[in-house]
Amino acid sequence: MTLTTLLILAAALIGIGLYGALSQQSFVMLMMGLELMLNGVMLAAVAFWAFSGTGAPEGQLLTIVVMAVMAIEMALGFALVVAVFRAKQADMTEALSELKQ
Amino acid sequence: MTPSLGTHIAFGVLAAFAVLTGWRVFCTDSMVRASFFLLLSFIAVGAIMILLTAEYLGVAMFCMMAVEMMVMALFMVMFMMNPAGLNPMKMVHQERVAIVVGVIAFVVLSAVAVLSEFPDAPLPAEHVPTISLGRELLGDSMLVFETAGVVLLTTMVGVVVLSSRRGRYGCADDGSMPPGLEPGGEPAGQPSEEEGEHTHHHH
Amino acid sequence: MILDQLILPWLLAWLMVGLGAYLVAVLDRLLATGSARDGSVWLAPLASAAWLMTQQATTTEAPDAPAWRLAPALYLALAATGLALVPWSPTLVGVDLATSLVLWGSLEALATVVIFLHGWSANAHLALIGAYRYVALGLSYLLISMFVLIGVALPAESLRLTEVVAAQTSLWHVVSQPLGLPLFLMVGLGLTFWGPLDLADSTDLSGGTAVERSGPPRLVWALARAAMLVAFSAIAATAFLGGWLGPWLPGPAWLLIKSLAVLVALLWLGRRLPRFAPERCVTLMWVVLLPLSFIDLIWAGAVALWMA
Repeated sequence: MTLTTLLILAAALIGIGLYGALSQQSFVMLMMGLELMLNGVMLAAVAFWAFSGTGAPEGQLLTIVVMAVMAIEMALGFALVVAVFRAKQADMTEALSELKQ
Repeated sequence: MTPSLGTHIAFGVLAAFAVLTGWRVFCTDSMVRASFFLLLSFIAVGAIMILLTAEYLGVAMFCMMAVEMMVMALFMVMFMMNPAGLNPMKMVHQERVAIVVGVIAFVVLSAVAVLSEFPDAPLPAEHVPTISLGRELLGDSMLVFETAGVVLLTTMVGVVVLSSRRGRYGCADDGSMPPGLEPGGEPAGQPSEEEGEHTHHHH
Repeated sequence: MILDQLILPWLLAWLMVGLGAYLVAVLDRLLATGSARDGSVWLAPLASAAWLMTQQATTTEAPDAPAWRLAPALYLALAATGLALVPWSPTLVGVDLATSLVLWGSLEALATVVIFLHGWSANAHLALIGAYRYVALGLSYLLISMFVLIGVALPAESLRLTEVVAAQTSLWHVVSQPLGLPLFLMVGLGLTFWGPLDLADSTDLSGGTAVERSGPPRLVWALARAAMLVAFSAIAATAFLGGWLGPWLPGPAWLLIKSLAVLVALLWLGRRLPRFAPERCVTLMWVVLLPLSFIDLIWAGAVALWMA
């Protein structure tokens, strides 16, 4: 368990999350990709805090903030999914293509 | 901090588990299963945080993510097709691009991790992570913490407004298509018969 | 190091799981009949356990195999983890984590997931209804539990259970925070879906999440529920009744007596409290008990400031 291995693990989680966020058609699965990316970000923040920050508490604080961001992302995401589903009976990203116009 | 052999082994197992469950999220048929795979990935990362002596963050991760993924699974079952995964299913688009982008992200970030020089400044020996986090949250960084709290409150209000069914003028999802004049009849209030249509209930 | 950090806590937790679950079965039977006139009251739980062990473990059509197999064991593991957190004396603690109080809270959250999986994985409608009911209940009592536990941590200025006990040397929290223990007991009934809060495995769903269970897995599920009740009693005794503190007797004996008192109180409440319909239960949690837990937290903060 060194800083390098921890960061490689974080990179792997971010990569998988990015794949999910780009490839999934369903809104909720897309959000799960984003959450997986944030998982990697939190791990990287804690790793830097533990190995190269001399224990500066801001490293932990960053993780707390990311947790709050995840909660906000999920709550707003679900509210939008509910609103879209009520309006269009749709839960897939392609169904919203007319937003482009 | 010099990790012991047991810590190294535990980290190896947990890291493999986190990546494996994270990958399984996107290749399982059932969406409920996917959300609980994500929970397992979070739990593995939380356990790694405990190994890094960030005891509060790791445990808080278990707590937060258990509730969050539970809610996610509920939404899966409510809205999505095939929640139980009884039929094989693959709902992806632009998959090749996504795989390439994901691999590039991994390679670039790993290269940064391997090639760059990070300062070697480990935790001091008498460091107490939980207490220092608490002092930071309610001391120097209180503004950040409070801002996060206010943003969460705003989100709660916004979410209730967005998802509330009942507005001032009745049910929110009645708005686009008015009910028929008799049960099961044609939607009333079409432009041709504009008059006499203001039969809304006033709450 | 391996002996006292790994093996001893492990043995202690599992011993409590086994004995405690047996004790729950006996006590519940005693409370139900009102007296010990039935001579077989000590043997009946063993007999029914042995009978379940000889039965075949049935399965449903297309269950979610891993969750279906693992859910009872996972619930039992959560109960054992909870018991490992309990401090028996200032030195005899299974896992002395700096955030053991938060870890107990996250065990409650994970229990919701496990119970949902138990019902969902069966792929049967009554079990699924039980699972949904439990999630509605679980998400409601989790917040109450958090606020009550934060109130306990405030005077200790620590999230460590040993320090929570040490902060009660002058006055137990059951006295200084009068709302805390009653609210926490309701959380305990919810966590183990016992008595009036048995919405998940209730008889109106002919067994709820466990309706499709038979044989040894059913035994494990019942054992896990009882063990979780024991773990909860020990945590409640630690957080509110001063844990190992007490005159004359050694610390572990006091903790045993206090946990037993909480356990009997829970079983008695489970027999005596009226049952609610699930939706009224959720309303009760959010509209009555959650504001009461806010009041408890404010009270706890004010008392902590005043006593400090």
